Amino acid sequence: MHREFRDMIKFEATCDFAAVRNATLAARVWLAEKNLPEKDLGAWELVLVESVNNAVKYADPAARQLPVILELSCGDRDVEARVTDQTSGFDWPEGEVALPDPDSETGRGLFLIKSLTDQSAYFRHSCQNVLVMRRARPAMGKNGLLEVSQLQTRLAEAEAALTDMTAELASNYESLVALFRYSSELGAQTNSKVFSKRLLKDLLQISEADSAVLRLLSPNGKQLETLLVLPEDPQLSLRAIALDQDCASVEIGAARNRQDIWFGPEEPLAEDDPLQGSISAGNGICHAFFVADQLVGTATLGRRASNRPFTAAQVNLLHTFIDFLAIQIVNTRLLDDRTASSVTRRELEIAAEIQRSLLPSMIPACLPFELAAGCQSALQVGGDFYDVIPAGDGALLLVIADVMGKGVPAALFAAVLRSTIRSMPQLFDQPAELLATANRTLFPDLSRVDMFVTAQIACLNPRCQKIISASAGHCPLLVWQPGRQEAVALGESGFPLGIEPLTRYVQTETALPPDALVLLYTDGLSEMRNPKGEMLGEKRLIQLLVQTAASSSGAPASKDFLLSRLADFREQAPLMDDQTFILIKHLP
Amino acid sequence: MNIQNKDSQTSVVTGLLELVAANAAQVRDEIRASLPATTTCLDLDMSALTFLDSSGLGTLISLHKTMRSRNGTVRLIKPAANVQQILELTRLHRVFEIVNG
Repeated sequence: MHREFRDMIKFEATCDFAAVRNATLAARVWLAEKNLPEKDLGAWELVLVESVNNAVKYADPAARQLPVILELSCGDRDVEARVTDQTSGFDWPEGEVALPDPDSETGRGLFLIKSLTDQSAYFRHSCQNVLVMRRARPAMGKNGLLEVSQLQTRLAEAEAALTDMTAELASNYESLVALFRYSSELGAQTNSKVFSKRLLKDLLQISEADSAVLRLLSPNGKQLETLLVLPEDPQLSLRAIALDQDCASVEIGAARNRQDIWFGPEEPLAEDDPLQGSISAGNGICHAFFVADQLVGTATLGRRASNRPFTAAQVNLLHTFIDFLAIQIVNTRLLDDRTASSVTRRELEIAAEIQRSLLPSMIPACLPFELAAGCQSALQVGGDFYDVIPAGDGALLLVIADVMGKGVPAALFAAVLRSTIRSMPQLFDQPAELLATANRTLFPDLSRVDMFVTAQIACLNPRCQKIISASAGHCPLLVWQPGRQEAVALGESGFPLGIEPLTRYVQTETALPPDALVLLYTDGLSEMRNPKGEMLGEKRLIQLLVQTAASSSGAPASKDFLLSRLADFREQAPLMDDQTFILIKHLP
Repeated sequence: MNIQNKDSQTSVVTGLLELVAANAAQVRDEIRASLPATTTCLDLDMSALTFLDSSGLGTLISLHKTMRSRNGTVRLIKPAANVQQILELTRLHRVFEIVNG
């Protein structure tokens, strides 16, 4: 029979938190004298604090007058503590105690006592209750020395602790090396996916996880799109999830609440969690990451069932690595945006260059008519152009057109239209037929890209002093004739080019007596707006043309006058569309 | 205990020695009372903290909820090994960001 000598001590403390805390500190000193290792001292301190606190917390005013009694007895194999309280007592749960909800501010004391002791029992009596707790201690040999077997156990424990520390140091070293490598790549333009894959693979190794899923917020900010699943499986495709989706997704939860979500044997992944099948669900953590308070994405790490949950150090590692990743992703996006905008700028320069090259460098004379033309580009290059081509017999073919759309495609179609018209001199005196033919030629190309062109073509004949015009969905010809108060809008318009393959056009013949003034223009003129948002409109444009005819003699002066009046109307408002026009003046 | 505002968003609490039943409620109320409305990051420097019990954990949770209500966070800075063990034992290392080093 084992006969054991037990050391014993008794502490009495006034029933308040400060006094019982002092008693537990004294108890710890006493236990340290009994050669308890640090780990046991820490556990006992916490257990004693929790149990004496309960004795204070639940004491009624009468019980407050009585002391809380703490007794310790220390043998070779265990330490036993007894806490006597004077409360009305409470029900002591049998078996294990579960942790409360993470948001609960109370309810962890009992869990700590149960977790850190091997046995505990609570004895209720009429006027006082006793809580008895026992915890094994490393056994001592004769003369208070450790037995050889205990020494070996201690040694093995120390070795294991050293191995853990070495592993942690090594993982810290690996993390440092990895982070230095990543930081050298920050700012460089790398493929986000390639970078993420390398970083995530390193993270898996260092944090001892075996699977990972990385998702990024879509550009419209509405869903989480899968960037990466490790280990990679070509058979598997993980669909994007909408942020407002109503399903038990740890990723959506982490993103919405800005808090890591853990899953494991106790809180398993929901059956309808989209991550099921893509991540090892034994133990895992999902982390949502933000840059400048904006959600960037989520990263989830998983381990197979047999593995332990992630430690605080590994969680820190996850946060550090993913913060790096977030910065790199945002950086890459900024670089991409900058490149895209410089491509657009270059494209606009090219389009402007094409547009400039389409305009005639000089306008041929056509007496008694005098011509002047203007083409003012809005900031974004559009598809306006005009052309003046000698048509034989002193006549001129005038073309004014507006290609729907902006940028290089519009400028290219303007160039094609210009060449197409110039290639049909035999039709220069038949504008309607010219438009129909040009439409047939251009229709397949225009309809393929869903574009169309409006155009006005006019043949100005100085010999018979008249103009023959036809319009494909374009603004009408405005004609002022001497002796009239009003200018008139002339011509019947057909479909724009590129809408109907076999459409026909009607041409109008108009006599231009001396002093007559004609305006061919694009809708950038009639549809321009002033700062109040009012549109100029055809009616005001006609009035401006009448004023121009009354105040100016030649075409260049008329052009200057018209431009200054247009500028007056527009005030400081920006030019939203190209403004292109041709003025024809019959010199008296 | 000392509370300083590092910048408009960050407040730092230093000089926490023990967080136990005897002072937990007082520490919680003092920190809450001196927290500027703009603070979204509350750093609790735990490097001097020698002991923490379940009432102290309650204070941490309470501050965590206060910060969460303003879309902010509580960070635990450099807790000692025994304090970190208590956090891990009660799984609260999953709730708080713990900054070591």
